[in-house]
Amino acid sequence: MVHLTINGTRVQATEGEMLLTVIRRMGIDIPALCHHEAVEPFGACRLCLVEITKDSWNGWKGYVTSCLYPVENDLIVNTHADKVIEARKTLIDLQLARCPNSPEIQQLAAQFGINRTSYEPKVDGDNCILCGLCTRICDQMGFAAISTVERGHGRRIAPPLDQPPPDCVGCLACALNCPTHVIPFTQAGDRRTIWEKDFELITCSRCGRKTITREFATALSKMRGIPESYFELCDACHREDTAQGMGRIAAWSRREEKAS
Amino acid sequence: MNHDLSKLPDIFARYPREPQSLIAVLQDIQKEFNFLPCEALKEAAQHLDVPLSKVFSVSTFYNAFSLNPKGEKVIRICMGTTCHIRGAALIQDQLESKLGINAGQTTSDMKYTLEVVNCVGACSMAPVVIVNDKYYADVKVNQTKKILRGG
Amino acid sequence: MAITRIASPKALDKLRTECQKEQQKHPRKLMVCCGPGCLANGAAEIVSEFKAQLKKKRIKGFDVEAMKETGCHGFCEQGPLVVVEPQGTFYTRVKKKDVERIVEETLRNNKIVDNLLYTHPIEKKTYRDYREIPFYKHQKRIALRNLGHINQCDVRDYIATGGYQALAKALTTLSPTEVIEQVKTSGLRGRGGGGFSTGRKWESCARLAERPHYVICNGDEGDPGAFMDRAIMEGDPHSVLEGMAICAYAVDSSEGYIYVREEYPLAVQFLQEAIREAEAYGLLGDNILGTDFSFHIKISRGGGAFVCGESSALMRSVAGEVGEPRAKYIRSVQKGLFDKPTVLNNVESFANIPVIIERGGKWYARIGTEKSTGTKAFSLVGKVVNSGLIEVPMGTTLRQIVFDIGGGIRDNRPFKAVQTGGPSGGCLPESKLDLSVDFDTLTKAGSMMGSGGMIVMDEGTCVVDVAKYFLKFLVEESCGKCTPCREGLYQLYLLAVKISEGLATESDLGKMEQLSAVIIDASLCGLGKSGPNPFLSTIQYFRDEYLAHIRDKRCPAGVCKALITYEVDAQACDGCMACIRACAVNAITGKKGEVHVIDQAKCNKCGACFAVCNRHAIKVA
Repeated sequence: MVHLTINGTRVQATEGEMLLTVIRRMGIDIPALCHHEAVEPFGACRLCLVEITKDSWNGWKGYVTSCLYPVENDLIVNTHADKVIEARKTLIDLQLARCPNSPEIQQLAAQFGINRTSYEPKVDGDNCILCGLCTRICDQMGFAAISTVERGHGRRIAPPLDQPPPDCVGCLACALNCPTHVIPFTQAGDRRTIWEKDFELITCSRCGRKTITREFATALSKMRGIPESYFELCDACHREDTAQGMGRIAAWSRREEKAS
Repeated sequence: MNHDLSKLPDIFARYPREPQSLIAVLQDIQKEFNFLPCEALKEAAQHLDVPLSKVFSVSTFYNAFSLNPKGEKVIRICMGTTCHIRGAALIQDQLESKLGINAGQTTSDMKYTLEVVNCVGACSMAPVVIVNDKYYADVKVNQTKKILRGG
Repeated sequence: MAITRIASPKALDKLRTECQKEQQKHPRKLMVCCGPGCLANGAAEIVSEFKAQLKKKRIKGFDVEAMKETGCHGFCEQGPLVVVEPQGTFYTRVKKKDVERIVEETLRNNKIVDNLLYTHPIEKKTYRDYREIPFYKHQKRIALRNLGHINQCDVRDYIATGGYQALAKALTTLSPTEVIEQVKTSGLRGRGGGGFSTGRKWESCARLAERPHYVICNGDEGDPGAFMDRAIMEGDPHSVLEGMAICAYAVDSSEGYIYVREEYPLAVQFLQEAIREAEAYGLLGDNILGTDFSFHIKISRGGGAFVCGESSALMRSVAGEVGEPRAKYIRSVQKGLFDKPTVLNNVESFANIPVIIERGGKWYARIGTEKSTGTKAFSLVGKVVNSGLIEVPMGTTLRQIVFDIGGGIRDNRPFKAVQTGGPSGGCLPESKLDLSVDFDTLTKAGSMMGSGGMIVMDEGTCVVDVAKYFLKFLVEESCGKCTPCREGLYQLYLLAVKISEGLATESDLGKMEQLSAVIIDASLCGLGKSGPNPFLSTIQYFRDEYLAHIRDKRCPAGVCKALITYEVDAQACDGCMACIRACAVNAITGKKGEVHVIDQAKCNKCGACFAVCNRHAIKVA
């Protein structure tokens, strides 16, 4: 157990936990755009910045991203120190300059009293905030179909060679987790298109619902050692089968009890 | 455009077959072809067992790599601090006007590529311009004709 | 010369004697400097010409083997350099056509070729022996000890001067802990600019139980204007190998890497050759010097990215990935290359190690200052009279470096500022010239010593332009991962451009100061955190110059294009038409013999006319 102070309150935490986890557990709301429970913390947006100090530090204060800083004994954390708020405001202002037309960023900025960026706004840009969630989640899914490309201010997210990505299976994990919804995809009938690549959606053999793409099913089948036929039924039908199976077991168990 | 990819196995054989070798392999490919052909990137990805997306990331992250073919003569203007204060930017202006292209581009006849590069470490001789492997030291702003001629 | 594996320290001693005897066969030696500056200036041609002449002429007591192609002798401004030892006869600005005279008059007849000697431009004194020249006299070369004196890549030359003796001493008479103690006692601090205690770094790695341990040499030298590490890697590669091997012994590592930036292909070549030689002689590789200590070094070439000078980015690059730094909450000593304990030190740091082990940490600690011991190499460049590669004890003042060694400003113009620390550093004005150059003093003044690039500026350099230059560099070199650096430095750069174009207001300065503070607090790595320094240090000491751009729309130094005009001085112009020929945009009109006129609407401020006019008839307003 580790003991530390956050915003004046003494709390307990498990060794190895990051400050952000504890902060959220306490119900304190600080933005963390590039953070997602399913992937390793990244430290790119810097919005989860907090002020840290210790009594033994003689008044010296540090500024760290809480998503990546592990809890320490006797740490004193301030999530809303003046310098932290100042930094957070400026960072959001900078994001707004990058994506002036993004409703999500506009909303976040409004929370900090910023309605228009005080910097030079990007003209004709997309709303990508380069949080990297799409690529990190794609890596985590095991496909690594897209990546960050180029460097510095020209950095962007792209498929390899700016062509339809060979390793993409059309699972939509990137698009569905994008904080600013910049990854477009279309779905019509049994066709899905994302990253300019076309996929065929499997139709559930029982109810006719569209499930996942054939490519995703093949990949999952290989990765998890599940027979491909499993994917011919949609999740809902699988659940129904499981429920019916559970029901039969429960009924049999009741009969057994009565008999004994 | 087709490139003679038969050289690739030789290049691959120089390094251990692991992801760690990626940058070294790409550098040798760059040297061989004067740029990184798409097909070579795909083969490298397969050979080293690195996702193609990561190979593309690395190819576009570092200054050494170019995804477009370069001209016969690659003119590199050093933009180190000493070169800058001794007038390298003015030399860049001159070369850009004379060639009709901006730094980072290649002339349409594929004769010249103009690049601005980071400090090459010959600071006492600033400003420095390198054409392929030839160094021009202490370059004056009116010597650009000489550089283009190859004198 | 047959290569025999050196099986013991005694065998090394024997080989040293042998190598020294070889050297004595030639009582006089010819050193041709092949350092970065001289090489760019034609040293290779001079070497070939000497070889051809020596073969042709058969000089008694002097054959081709008496000629050494050395690393950077130091006085790059005066290159190409040729030195005849042991007299120290110093020939400057040598051209191919001078070689025959040198061979005939100096090598054959022992006479001096007077017009090739160095004459001090202000004192007007001519020097024969380079050691008397002020540029050299004030230096103390430890890391650069062999540069200019040994063949660039020749292990036998290195051994003859005592090379690998320190490694033998460490392996056979000192325990790893004792080696670390010596380095701690020496007080050596990271020469890459970070200034962290080298001994303590080695100690923390040695203590970690996890294996393997790695030793990496940072040869990225990304600071524009710095070439000390390049000179050492090319001119004395064995000193780096020996330093790394001693480190490996101290921290129990058997695998090392030298990360060399992409822009230094020669350094890669020489280091590879040196590694091959050292392995052949049993000085590297398995069972070094017949002991059971083994250490293998590989070269890892950078792909061209300034950010890869940062330790965590460097390690990712060695692993074949993009050079994105990692937040420093878990130190790279603990989780470095491939997440294993790693010691990363700079080229110059490693080059000092053999001397420290041989002469003892206490000896080293007596040089320099209390908190910054030893010496530091600098590339002294820019508008200074004597530009080149120097090494001085820590604690030497800026004034001593710029004036006593550097000879002051070219063309006798007034001194304006000296920029140190590369893009992470800053500019210090005349009032700070008496500051001691060390790890801490310059930092307190708002700059930093950095890796050793020292760029001297005169009135013709605009600090707004310098700040803009460094910000542009950082924006291009930023890895782009974190918002404050990628977006913040970019916006800071746009504001600097605005100032240079005369479009900024005073409130923009306040905005830049506030943005800088956030970038410093919030950035992920050192590149971002120190990114605003070029702006902050120049605004601290040169606020008036910024205000001139803002309030008066004027660039006092005559650099910012939007704020200057080139005009013909009618009194001075004699109508020679040189400027008309030089103008790439046909902005100048006038017949021969008539006063020329520049059409301001067409003029693109390229400065070509100013450069070619011999009559000083073009004025910058």
